[in-house]
Amino acid sequence: MAILLLDILTTASMLFIVAAGLMIILGVMKLINFAHGAFLTVGGYAAHVVTAHGFSPWLTIPAAAAFGFVLGVVVERVVVRPLYSRPLDAILATWGLGIIIAQVIVFAFGREVQFAQSPISGTVDLFGTGYSSWRLILIAVAVVLGLLLTALLYLTRFGLNARAVIMNENLARGLGIDSIRVRAMTFGLGAALACAAGALITPLLSVDPNMGLPWLVNSFMLVLVSGIAIPGLALASLVLGGAQVLVSTFVSPIIGGITIVVLAAVILRIKPQGLSRG
Amino acid sequence: MSGVTNQSAGEARLQVAGLSSGYGPVTVVRDVSFSIAPGEILVILGKNGMGKSTLLKTIMGFIRAKSGSVRLDGSEIANRAPHLNAREALAYTPQEYAIFQDLTVEENLRLGVTEDRLLGARMGEVEAAFPVIAKRFKQRAGTLSGGEQKMLLLSRSLVSRPKIMLIDEISEGLQPSMVNRMAQVLRSTSAEKGVAILLVEQNLPFALSVADRYAILKIGEIVEQGDVAHADTAATLERHLRI
Repeated sequence: MAILLLDILTTASMLFIVAAGLMIILGVMKLINFAHGAFLTVGGYAAHVVTAHGFSPWLTIPAAAAFGFVLGVVVERVVVRPLYSRPLDAILATWGLGIIIAQVIVFAFGREVQFAQSPISGTVDLFGTGYSSWRLILIAVAVVLGLLLTALLYLTRFGLNARAVIMNENLARGLGIDSIRVRAMTFGLGAALACAAGALITPLLSVDPNMGLPWLVNSFMLVLVSGIAIPGLALASLVLGGAQVLVSTFVSPIIGGITIVVLAAVILRIKPQGLSRG
Repeated sequence: MSGVTNQSAGEARLQVAGLSSGYGPVTVVRDVSFSIAPGEILVILGKNGMGKSTLLKTIMGFIRAKSGSVRLDGSEIANRAPHLNAREALAYTPQEYAIFQDLTVEENLRLGVTEDRLLGARMGEVEAAFPVIAKRFKQRAGTLSGGEQKMLLLSRSLVSRPKIMLIDEISEGLQPSMVNRMAQVLRSTSAEKGVAILLVEQNLPFALSVADRYAILKIGEIVEQGDVAHADTAATLERHLRI
């Protein structure tokens, strides 16, 4: 029972970490970034490259985040910004970008599965059973990430500007806020979070060119259910991630794989605005 | 060209010349010219749909100018991005959706300054003008009364230390005592700090109590202009606005 609870907590943590970047971009830019899964894959490969070249596995996460930030800023400038006045086209462009990134990865690394070393390997003895140390660390990472994002949004000038842009972009511009810069930084941050998430989950999974796809689908549903708010995303990750673990454990792992999508659809049917909105 | 000018270009804080703008192929503001000196208040009068708000949005950079120029202290600012104009000390108060309802009073005021540390030093001006706003610092702006929200709007403009204030129908929906308070604050801001103020108004008593000069906008053109204190003002307004 205790192990089941830990599984729920660690799964929810992974989902929160992976979905956070998607939510930030959707919240500020009103853009569903369908390249999010590809960014996550890039993060996985960044971890693979860092450890394959003999660097410390601890460097995988900052390296992936930094690469992701630069990639995000460039993608925003080249692909997304010209399409701000055509939001549907912008969404389709991110979908296309995801396909291109996957093909570039195949070209560079091949289709075979790769691995990255874990910063911490082995298990911790809990309740008489060995439990993955790295999965436990991900709980702390998710909590810290949630607190940092909350602090960024509510305690910094960038956060105030971003919230102003979310609420009323024209009014924000009229007060001296460069909303284009806020959007660029936000997309960079979202991509950095996606790549860092890829590096964070890589020790638990193998790396392949399509590793981000299932995470993209689940993240998308979680963000919709969250109501675009950090506490809402944490709650959605716990509820839907918990359901996934329970279904996978007691019914079937195959049905568990579609639990988040199905349950999210049901929740949105009952509560279209998501969990954090009245 | 239609316009009002009572000082040379060299003295003008804001100089608008031959300005035309609109939405897509439709021209709403036509060949408008005027200038405002530091410490002066000009009110644009006109009925609904005459292009008053479009004129302010064009000056601020929200709507592209099709022709003409907008000069701030002699430098061209037409078609410059609104955030750059705001940083150049243009304080714009739109008629609708002018405050962030879900932010606190403090956060709304912080958005009026370029750096958070500046707000503390400038709060004295807010306390002097509208003491109630300083007392509601941590309150969500959307929970303020209509009059308090208008006070917050002007307070936000004051803390930005503007050279020019562009104000769109600030008196709308306010009780007379509040309108009088707004007029006092605008007069003192203009006189003591040398701020040039461009008002758009339909409330004629308020407009005439606060402005130095007026211009009447009809179908996008300035058809009449003059000093508020001039003996012919009442007759002119009667003729154009049928008050």
